[in-house]
Formats: sequence, structure tokens, C-alpha cells
Amino acid sequence: MTNAAFRRTQLDALVEAQGATRATPPLLLSADPYFDLAGEEFGRRLLLTTDTTGAEYCLRPDFTLPIVTAYIADGVGKPAAFSYMGPIFRQRENGPAEFDQAGIELLAQPDGDVALDQVLTFARAALSIFGVAPDIRLGGVALFESLLVQADMPDAWRPRIRNRFGHTEALDRLLARLEAAPDVQRQQQPSRAELVDTVTEQMVASGLSLSEGRTPDEIAGRYLEQQALDAAHVPASTLKLLRDYLAISGPVLQALTQVEALASRHRLMLGSPIRAIRRHLNGLGECRVSFDASFSPRLDYYTGIVFEMTGPNGEVLASGGQYDRLLERLGAAAPIAASGCSVWVDRLEAEVSP
Amino acid sequence: MSGITLAVPSKGRLEELTRDWFASKGLTITRPGGARSYLGAIDGMPEITVRFFPASEIARELIRGNIDLGVTGLDLIHETSESGPASVSVASKLGFGNADVVVAVPEAWIDVTHMHDLADVASDFRSRHGRWMRIATKYITVTRQHFAKAGIAEYRTVESLGATEAAPASGVADIVVDITTTGSTLAANGLRVLEDGVMLQSEACLIVSRTAAFAPQRKAQLDAVLSRLGTTAGF
Repeated sequence: MTNAAFRRTQLDALVEAQGATRATPPLLLSADPYFDLAGEEFGRRLLLTTDTTGAEYCLRPDFTLPIVTAYIADGVGKPAAFSYMGPIFRQRENGPAEFDQAGIELLAQPDGDVALDQVLTFARAALSIFGVAPDIRLGGVALFESLLVQADMPDAWRPRIRNRFGHTEALDRLLARLEAAPDVQRQQQPSRAELVDTVTEQMVASGLSLSEGRTPDEIAGRYLEQQALDAAHVPASTLKLLRDYLAISGPVLQALTQVEALASRHRLMLGSPIRAIRRHLNGLGECRVSFDASFSPRLDYYTGIVFEMTGPNGEVLASGGQYDRLLERLGAAAPIAASGCSVWVDRLEAEVSP
Repeated sequence: MSGITLAVPSKGRLEELTRDWFASKGLTITRPGGARSYLGAIDGMPEITVRFFPASEIARELIRGNIDLGVTGLDLIHETSESGPASVSVASKLGFGNADVVVAVPEAWIDVTHMHDLADVASDFRSRHGRWMRIATKYITVTRQHFAKAGIAEYRTVESLGATEAAPASGVADIVVDITTTGSTLAANGLRVLEDGVMLQSEACLIVSRTAAFAPQRKAQLDAVLSRLGTTAGF
């Protein structure tokens, strides 16, 4: 057996050894759930095809969605674990491509910490088969959400800031806008009823349905909210806090100490999410671990801790974390603990080839 | 293989203006078979084969490297493929066919004046209406790229190959991404361009393929014709 084949076999054995159900979702999947979950940004990465009715299908672009969807369809609630290895398909700039991915999904586990530890251990074991001692980058979604809840600002700004977390440029633009908020005197606003009338008139005039999409009431409401928001400044100290926090990035212990210092300066209670991150560090002992306060996938179902492992070439070899809101987004009645990761097998193989 | 292929829009105002532009540089494009023929030539330059194509096919073939040189809109280069702009080189802007690809919302959306407003509306559209915000456009690639840059992921595109400006009124979509010269068609349909809603300023361009194989002899031929046109390939 060649070395490459031997490593494959070892990886396959690792996937089997997770005490999990081996999942083999179909290669051809309905595309709609992917668009619904991740929007057009992910949609542009799909390899699409249509059936005779025009319904869109895609070649399996990941394992998580079909695994979780099937789990929900079977009736949720029971702890379950799934592992997988097989091809996925994503558009790349230089043409469509087929990749192999391996990974695990741990659902409804009683202890989210233990589950994340298993995920991290799996990812590191997979990488070590290929001789890679990774750089690990951690991100704290729960930490940021906890900071955001406590930071002093008008409530309406919180979801707007949360929504941009993980998109560095968009968040930077929003903060810059808030920092530059003009101190102009607002002119007298028309009443809500007047606004609704004006908007209704305009919508009718251009033939828009008053109920299908945004309603006059919603538009007037957001208009007034916007005016109020422009007047309701986020305090400069809060903006500085957010800037300072998002800039924290470096070796994990130093970075978390910085977060703690920032928290105590601003009297924020961030102990619990910081401890949650620290609990996982022992298990990562000899790896180079960094914490990046601004790091998060751009999907709002991530919660808790997220991570990325990169090799010497700087390529992401494994990524994952906790996504307790995913099952709810896919139709479960309540949030269900979920964590998992996926490992890019082809990139790992490229790490060992001469 | 030797000789250079030049692709020119096959009909209408764009063809006329393109031939005028070449004529202004002293090169006469001939179409011996008339409007039904898709093969032409340039007087005095036998190494150049002129092909008449629809503008969108010119963009596609330039990106793939099947033709060397062509006249088409910048918008089509950006729309045909995400790697389009990197696969070609703009040798010259021709000063006609100017139009902007813009984001336009219903006039009645008085609360939405900038892309960041749209980001807010998009982010809770689904929880309010049980579906994603829908954008009608024929510029799907351009839309995806620019919305990603603006940090907006929560929407669906609806492909619209004509009369995009009518999509909001017909209930097909909530907003549009469309091409416009003056904005008057959009305005007539009760749509307003966002203040930072210009995604791409397009015009007709003379474009060189970077993916076509230019052996020394063909490169020399290319450089020769470009220099007659007062420009260079840029590579």
C-alpha cells in the first residue's frame, strides 16, 4: 500500500472510530434548502442543475445540511452523532471542482463542552495522520454576543451590529458610520399615520402589492426607527470598546487576558464565555492557538466557539465549531446543541506531497 | 495558427458605432455578405478576421480565449464570469454604450436610501415575511459580488431577462439590479436608485483576451493592430 493510500485508510478508520453513525447523504440534493439557509453568497458556490419542471438541484456541496435535515425529519431530541467522508462539489474561480471532505456532527449532546472537545480532537487527529501540526484560530461568537448585550447602546443597534459580525469590512463601515454620526438637529418628523398614507399612496401608484412584500406600516415604522436611531447615538466609549475588542488577536492566553482587561475596564461580565474558551485549551496543549475576536463564519446560526485549523501553507484544513441555532433554522422547534467540523482531505493530501 | 480574430457586435446601433470608431482610427471594417453574413475583414489587414457576434457571446468567447480581440460592454465581462475581468484586458474605452448597473428599490421604500439600509431590511426580511428578499436581475454574478462586498447575504436573486423594472410591480421581486443610462425607465416604474447603488459603470470597450494563446507571431500581429488603434494590449 502506498503512503497516500495508507493515510486514506487511516483517515477512514478515524471517521469510523467516532462512535457515530456513518452518514452517506445523496450526491444530488434539492438546492432550495441551501439558498434558504445560506443565501446567494453560498449559492454562487453550488453546482446547479434543473429537473424537467425547472426545480433546482445541486451536487452535494456539504454534508452538514443533509445530515441535520434527515435528523430533524426523524424526530429530534435524542442525542446523535454522525461522521462522514466523501466527495463534495463547489464552484471555484478556476472551474468547478470535486473535493473530499471528512467530518463529524454531534447533535443534542448533553454537554456542549465535551462535544466540542471531541470535535477538536477529531480534527487534530485527522490532521496528524497527514503529519500536520496546525495553527488553530479560535473565535468567540458567544463572547461577542455577550459583550454586545452588555455594551451601552440603544437596543435597536444591537441586531444591526450582530448581523455584521464576521464580515470585517461591513462591520467596520457600520462603526465608521456610527462614529461619524452627525449631530444635526432633526427636523420635525411627520406622524406615523401620515407616513403610512404617503407610502401607501406611492405603492399603489407604482402598482405594488400592499401585502405581498414590505407593507406601508413596516416601511413607515423602519423610517421612524431610522430617524430615531440617527438621533440615538451609540456612545463614543461603546464604539471604542467595540473597536478595541474587535482588534484583539494573538496568542490565545495573551488575547484572552486582553479581553479580560477590557471587560473589567468597561465593567462587563464576560467571565462565562471566556472560561468556556479556556476549558478547551488544555486539550490543545502543544498546538499554536490564537484567538481572534473578530473571527466568525458569516452565518448567524453559529454560537459558542468556532475554530479554524491551518497548515504550513496557510490553507484552512479543518473548520467548525458550535452551531446551536442551526437546527432551529432548519425547522426544529427549539435550539438544539450542535457542534461539528469538516476536514478538507485534498488539501491535507497536498500538505504531504513533495 | 496565425492571424487575429476580432469580434464585433453583429447588429444595431452598437455595430454601427463600433465600425464608426474603427473608421475614425483609419480602419475600415467590411462585411462583404451584408447583414446576414457573420464574417468580415479589415481593409488592408488580411491577417485579421472579423467575426460578427452578439455582444454577450463576444464577452464569453474573450474570457474563454476563443477570440483574441473584441468589442463588448464591460458589464457583460463582469457578468459572464466571476473571473471575467481577470481574463481580459481593456485596451480602449470607446466612449459609447455608457450605462450603469444599479440597485434600485421602490420609491415607496422611504427608509432605504443606502446599501446599509438594504442590509438591515434584508437581515430581518425572512423573519417578517417568511421568505428572503427577492432581487430581479439579469446581472446575477455582479449582484452576488457586490452584495457580498456590502455584507448582504440574506436575499435570493430571480433571473429576469427583460423588463426587469416591472418585476416589483408584478410581484416577482422586491427590488431590482438593472442597467440604466438615465434612470428614467426605473423612475417611470416607481423605482429609485440607491445613493450608493451604482455597482458598475459600463461602456463599450475594445477588449483583449488574456486567455488566448499569443505565440510571438500572433502577439506581434495583435500589437500591430492595437497600435494602429492607438493603444496597447497591456500585457
